Formats: sequence, C-alpha cells, structure tokens
Amino acid sequence: MRCYGFTPIQGSDSRLFHLPTTRLINIPNSNSRFSFSHSSFFTSKLVSATCMPPVSLRTTARAAVNDGLMTEEAAAASGLSFYELLGIPESGSLVDIKQAYKQLARKYHPDVSPPGRAEEYTKRFIRVQEAYEILSDPGRRALYDRDLAKGLHLAFSARRQYQSNEGMEERGEWKNRWQAQLSGLKRRSMNKDADGNLSWGARMRRQRDELANEL
Amino acid sequence: MRIGPPIPVPQCRCLLATSPDAQRSPSFSSHFTRGTNLLCPSQEKLHYVQVRKRPGGICASLSERGPEYHSQRPPTPLLDTINYPIHMKNLSTKELKQLADELRSDVIFNVSRTGGHLGSSLGVVELTVALHYVFNAPQDKILWDVGHQSYPHKILTGRRDKMHTIRQTNGLSGFTKRSESEFDCFGTGHSSTTISAGLGMAVGRDLKGRNNNVVAVIGDGAMTAGQAYEAMNNAGYLDSDMIVILNDNKQVSLPTANLDGPIPPVGALSSALSRLQSNRPLRELREVAKGVTKQIGGPMHELAAKVDEYARGMIGGSGSTLFEELGLYYIGPVDGHNIDDLVAILKEVKSTKTTGPVLIHVVTEKGRGYPYAEKAADKYHGVAKFDPATGKQFKSKAPTQSYTTYFAEALIAEAEVDKDIVAIHAAMGGGTGLNLFLRRFPTRCFDVGIAEQHAVTFAAGLACEGIKPFCTIYSSFLQRAYDQVVHDVDLQKLPVRFAMDRAGLVGADGPTHCGSFDVTFMACLPNMVVMAPSDEAELFHMVATAAAIDDRPSCFRYPRGNGIGVQLPTRNKGIPIEVGKGRILLEGERVALLGYGTAVQSCLGAASLMESHGLSLTVADARFCKPLDRALIRSLAKSHEILITVEEGSIGGFGSHVAQFMALDGLLDGKTKWRPLVLPDRYIEHGSPTDQLAEAGLTPSHIAATVFNILGQTREALEIMS
Repeated sequence: MRCYGFTPIQGSDSRLFHLPTTRLINIPNSNSRFSFSHSSFFTSKLVSATCMPPVSLRTTARAAVNDGLMTEEAAAASGLSFYELLGIPESGSLVDIKQAYKQLARKYHPDVSPPGRAEEYTKRFIRVQEAYEILSDPGRRALYDRDLAKGLHLAFSARRQYQSNEGMEERGEWKNRWQAQLSGLKRRSMNKDADGNLSWGARMRRQRDELANEL
Repeated sequence: MRIGPPIPVPQCRCLLATSPDAQRSPSFSSHFTRGTNLLCPSQEKLHYVQVRKRPGGICASLSERGPEYHSQRPPTPLLDTINYPIHMKNLSTKELKQLADELRSDVIFNVSRTGGHLGSSLGVVELTVALHYVFNAPQDKILWDVGHQSYPHKILTGRRDKMHTIRQTNGLSGFTKRSESEFDCFGTGHSSTTISAGLGMAVGRDLKGRNNNVVAVIGDGAMTAGQAYEAMNNAGYLDSDMIVILNDNKQVSLPTANLDGPIPPVGALSSALSRLQSNRPLRELREVAKGVTKQIGGPMHELAAKVDEYARGMIGGSGSTLFEELGLYYIGPVDGHNIDDLVAILKEVKSTKTTGPVLIHVVTEKGRGYPYAEKAADKYHGVAKFDPATGKQFKSKAPTQSYTTYFAEALIAEAEVDKDIVAIHAAMGGGTGLNLFLRRFPTRCFDVGIAEQHAVTFAAGLACEGIKPFCTIYSSFLQRAYDQVVHDVDLQKLPVRFAMDRAGLVGADGPTHCGSFDVTFMACLPNMVVMAPSDEAELFHMVATAAAIDDRPSCFRYPRGNGIGVQLPTRNKGIPIEVGKGRILLEGERVALLGYGTAVQSCLGAASLMESHGLSLTVADARFCKPLDRALIRSLAKSHEILITVEEGSIGGFGSHVAQFMALDGLLDGKTKWRPLVLPDRYIEHGSPTDQLAEAGLTPSHIAATVFNILGQTREALEIMS
C-alpha cells in the first residue's frame, strides 16, 4: 500500500500509526508526490476510531484554492502556519513577532545563505517576510487568526488571491444579508401595528390612519 | 494639518491599474471624450494608483510620480443642470453615478480654493446623491451630524454658486445651519445630536399628523457619545418611524491620525462594528432557519417573524443585537460607495409603511476618490487651501507657533518632572496638541472618544487616586460636561486641571465652536481657580501653576491662534505664579485698562494708539479671575478716574466679578467710573478672526474709542474708528 508518510511502529498493533508532527515537514526532494494536504482523506480509513491522529487536520478547501503556479513542494513546505514558521506561539505579541522575524530574516537572507542552498533559503526568506507582513498588521492578523481557527491553512500567494476574492465575496455576502434584512422588515411591518402593539409610535400611526380613513 | 509620510510606490508602470470600482473609471473617461471643452492637457494622464506593498520593491516617493488628479476643474455637465434635488428625480442609475463623480470633483476643487473639511465630505458623496434622489427634501428631513460632511449636500441644494464663500465672513457656514437654507433642517457642529433631533422631528410629525420621512446621518465617531445612545434608547421605546444612517468609516478621533500614523479607533464599539462587517453568518444554519419560516408561513405571520428574529439574533453579527436591543431594526452592512445598493435599500425602507426606527449601517471610506486623501494618515479631514493636482497644502509660515503647541510643550515639560501628570482629551488629539504628549508619554495620554462628560468624571476619579489630570477640552465642548464639572469636580474640591483651548472667538468655525462662556460658567463655581494667560510665556507659567495647585480644581483658557513672540522660559519649564496676583504692564494715568487673557494684547494696542493723542494709559494684566487680585484693583481704582475691564467673553465673566468686588469694597461710591468691554449679547458669525473681533467690538481701535467716549472726546473716538 502506498505509504503516506506514516511509519508503523514495529511490533505494535498495526492500527496504531505514529504520525509525525507537522513541524518536521521539510521535504527537499521535489520529486516527492507526497502531499500532506490529503491527510484528512485517509486518516479515517487507516486509523481506527480509538486512535485519533495528533496532527491538526488540514481541510481540503486549501487544495481548491491552490493555483496552478504552486509546486507540490511549496504546498507541502508551506503547510506551516505563520506562527509555526516564525517559531512563536499564537498569542505572540508584536515584539515577539518582530524579534522572530529579524532572527529568521538574518538567517535566511539570500546574501548570507550557504552556496548551493540559495534558492531554498530565498524561498524561506520570502515566506518569513510575508508571515511578518501579515502578522504585524493587526487587521490582517485578525483575519488570518480567524481562518486559522477554522482550519484553513493557506499559503500566502494563494491567500493573496483569496483575500481579494474574499473582499468581493464579503461584499456579495453583505448584499445577501441586507436583502434578507429588507424582506424581514417588510414582513414585520405588515403586522407591526396590530392592536396589541401599545408603543407610542404605533398608537399615533393608528390614529393617523383612522383620520385618513374617515376623510 | 500634517499629511502622513509619503507611501513608497514602486516605479514600475505595470502597477498602474484603474480602480477596481468599475463605476468610477468609465465616467471619468467620459469627461475626456465628451464635449469640446477639454481643459486638461493632452499629455496628462489620470491614474488611480492602487498602492500595493510588494516585498522588496523599489521605492519611490509619491511626489516623483507626477500629478494624480486634475489640475483644472473638469467639466461637470450633469451637475450643472442640478440646482435642487428635484432636478435629480429623473436621472438613471448611470447618470447618478456620473453625478456622484462630478460632485466629488466639485467638492475637491471648492475646498482647494477655500480650505475646509474635505475627507468627510468625500466619503459621503454617494450617500448624499442617493438620499436626495430617493427622498424629497425639504419636506423629508435629512439631518447631518456634526455637519462637516455636508458640502455635497449644500452643493445639491441650491448653494453651489456660493461654495467659494464657505467658512468666510458673510459666506456659507461650514456646518448645517437652519437660517441658511430650508434644506438644512437642524444646526449642527457639536456631534451626536442628530438622532435626538431627528426623533424630535419624527414625533412632531406624528403629533401634527404629517407624513414625511426623517433621516439622521451619524458617523461612527459620533456614536461614541452617550447622547446617541440616549436617543436610540428613546427612539426604540417610542417606536416612531425614522431612519438612522450610521456612516462607518472607522475614523473615531480627530484628526484621524497622530503624528506617527493613523489612530486605531478608540473604544470597544469600533471593534463591534468591524466584527459586524466581517462576520460571515453560518449560511447553513440561516438556510435552515429560512426553510422553517417558509414552512410556517402563510397565515402564521407573527410566528414566522418571531422565528426569523430569533434566528437573526443568533446568527447575525454580534453588534447588530446591540442596535436591535435598543429597538432599532438593523440593516447592513452596506457598501456606502455603491449607489445602486444605497438607492435600492433607501427605496425599500421608504416604501415600507410602519417601520419604526431603522438603522442602516453604511460602510464608507473617508477621503474616497481623491488619491492624496485616501493615502494620508489623517485622510485630509481638515485642510488649508491646496493644489488639487499634487495635494500639497499651502501653509503660511508664521513666526510663532500656536497656543495649542505651546500648551502641549508646556505640559510635556511638567510631565517630565512629575510622573503623576496625565492628559485627557475627547477624540481631539490634534486639535488639543496632545498628540505631541502622546508621542512622548504613550501611557499617560487618554483619549476617551467623543465623551466630554465621561472625560471630566474620569479625571475626577484619577484625581481621587493622587494622579494630576489635565483635562484638555475645547471651551465650547466643555459646555457639554458642565454638570460633571460642578458636581463631580468642584463640589468635592478635586484637583482636576482644565485646559480650555479655543477660548473666545474662533474664526471660520463660527458660533458653534466659539468659546464665549467659559469665564462665566467657571468663575461662578466656589472652589475653582480661574486664570488666563496674556501671552505664550504666561501660558507656560500657568501650566506650571495649575500643576502646582493640588488642593482644588483649576482652569485656564487660551485662544486659537499663534503666539505674539515673547521669550519662552528655559527648557519650556514654566514657573508657578502666585495665585491671585496680577501684574501691571504699562504705567499711565487717569485711565486704566484691566485686561483678562489675550485681550491684554488689544489693550496694549489701544494704549499705543492713544500715545499719539498724548494720553498714556495704564495697562494691567489681571491673570486671575478667581481669586481676584484685590490689591491691584483697589490701587487702580484709587489712582485712576476710569477703570475699563476687557475680556473676550460674555457678560457675567471677569468684568462682573471685578464690579462685584468693587461694589462690595466701596470703590464705586466715589468718583471712579467702571466700564466693561465684553462680547456682545449675540452670536458672532463665522469669518476671519480680524473680522470677528471687529464685529464684536474688541479691537484696539474699539477700546481706544471707548476711552475717548468716556473722556468726552467723541470726535477723537469717531476719528479712531474710521
């Protein structure tokens, strides 16, 4: 059977698989077709209900958002959240973020990278920089945290597109919402001034309508 | 107003994108192709640049990119045909969008010539067009909170040809004003009043049996004031039909930036509002709820409505329930720059009978449509004259700085030495100069939002704990907090210091912002120390004095404008002056001018005018209105025939206190004549400061003429006045 990166523990029940933690993901081999984005598919098949994997489930929504430009390697490697990338807890303050960014930027800057690994380091550097950009802006960080909580782990370039789409999507959602609200208003107004309603406004409206009917 | 630092924009041309808002670009290109009257030079390109931050991109400053806006006023064919809202009724949606664009450029060019409030007006252009299209002003009442965003409204309601006079003497007011036009239903200037006034108009309409609509437009900044909640609470209870439009642009404080960048909105309400905007309701649950109501529907209207309401309450944004709880039906958020949406919603609401109070949450962008305003940290809230093509403001270079800046520097110097000093302001970080204080002491400056009453009692609470609060509120805005001053501060004798900026006449903002009454209402309080500096050096000393007064409340007032150029104390640290001691500036005979505050400068001016007529006057600076320098007054009264008190305040202030003392002391029983010079018993209209002072009768010439009149030399009096 295809090994999706699970290493069965020798001598133990075949149902117990030792799933690697997410932090160790770093697949330099670009030929690898392993992609951790599909982990959610098979966990239900390979792991019994009694043994829940310790790794956080990646939703498949991400696969849909990945544009064709991204290689699988980048997809797998960027499965890290921005917090994991920078090595700080999710409740990290701006100071922590800045420090982590400075450290990593110094480490991965193309100019100081060891020869031969420049390309990989540059990619890392770009990722780190984007992570800093998003996390240091409180508004964008809030949006990112929200998506993180929903289990959406988006690589930033996919995120960038998604963000602008999200902007439009949000506006579209706004429209649905207020259209629903308007129909609610209309519905409410039909029986708003029923005799049971004793508010001052309702009484005045009834009075006005009575006067109008009389004329 | 400071503009933010230029935002680096990559030089690469491929980033020149027309705005994603498709409704804007076609109408502008139509300006170029339409008609033979092309005012723009052919090689000038109009770009709407989307500023995107590219990692590692080459940065170039904005000014190098060339003009981003027209330098000449573009033709406005559609706007030219609209004099009143009734002329708009037959326009199509496409034409409404074109009208909005033309209106926007009109606002920009008008404000560039006169100065005034720009950002806020630009944010509500589409809203103004939609409102006037759907509603029938002036029968339908449209109220604009604060009024500084009413420039498009004024243009559309018959005042376009007078827009070049806005904020000038005998010109249009910078805010809405009932006496100016029937389309301005309520005078505004101080914030958060429109929901209250709108409710009053709605109830009055109901009592009279009329049938019009009432719309109150209020911003998210004005929503931080308590009065808005008082009004919404009452509106929900009375259930009278009215529409409240919450114009949400996330700008809560003014200017909408401190010295280092944009100010994040103050207060918990703003985050609730933004949660409202970004909340994505769980669609599935909503669909289920809809399905349930559909099934129940038919004859069971009430139950269906109730279920829907509960569903909305559960799923809707966490902030909408706030308005719903207050009794307003919440609709939104709505894109405030989309005329289609706005017109559709307003039409629906207007056509629905018996709505009760409805709140429409409209999201706009301050400064929208003018690239420089969009990018500036303060969104060009209030600007001097500027060049439309480059956005550069023409600021005259004055030899001295404003009293506001001097106050901030004085307070910083005091706070360096005394770590208990804190500063409090009500959403006016720039106007009070406390942005400078904030930069120096980030944890010791408190912005409470537009909540003066809370600011005063908050200061009282701080004073209870041994902190030394400086409550910096404009004289005219302190009126709102008067009960708190009396009851919470003065009655308990808590050492709160009040720094009242914009005392006296204020120029272009007019009577709504004029600080005429603070001497009267502060000096009548039993425990208050009331003082006023006559120049900027005195201001430094009075800040120090206020910091030193630790057993009772104190206050000092200073005007809008720049200093006169005296030597400042070393290292900005003033020396506390003895409380209740004035000073004599000029020794003369027969006539004494006792000035209070910066009116002393006018007295000195009058004295030099009289020199040429051979009269030398005594000029004294009272410094304190409470406690009065009794010895000074006694000596002046005894050695002069005439004593004239001069102040830039209303009746019941400094002059009245002097008169009271003189009467009780027997100084009026002899040959001494006392005359007061105060602001007249009417509101002085907006205009330039010199015009206003002349209108008020407090210029040096006026003072000199008064002296001549009392001396019986009426001819000289007339001479001086002409």
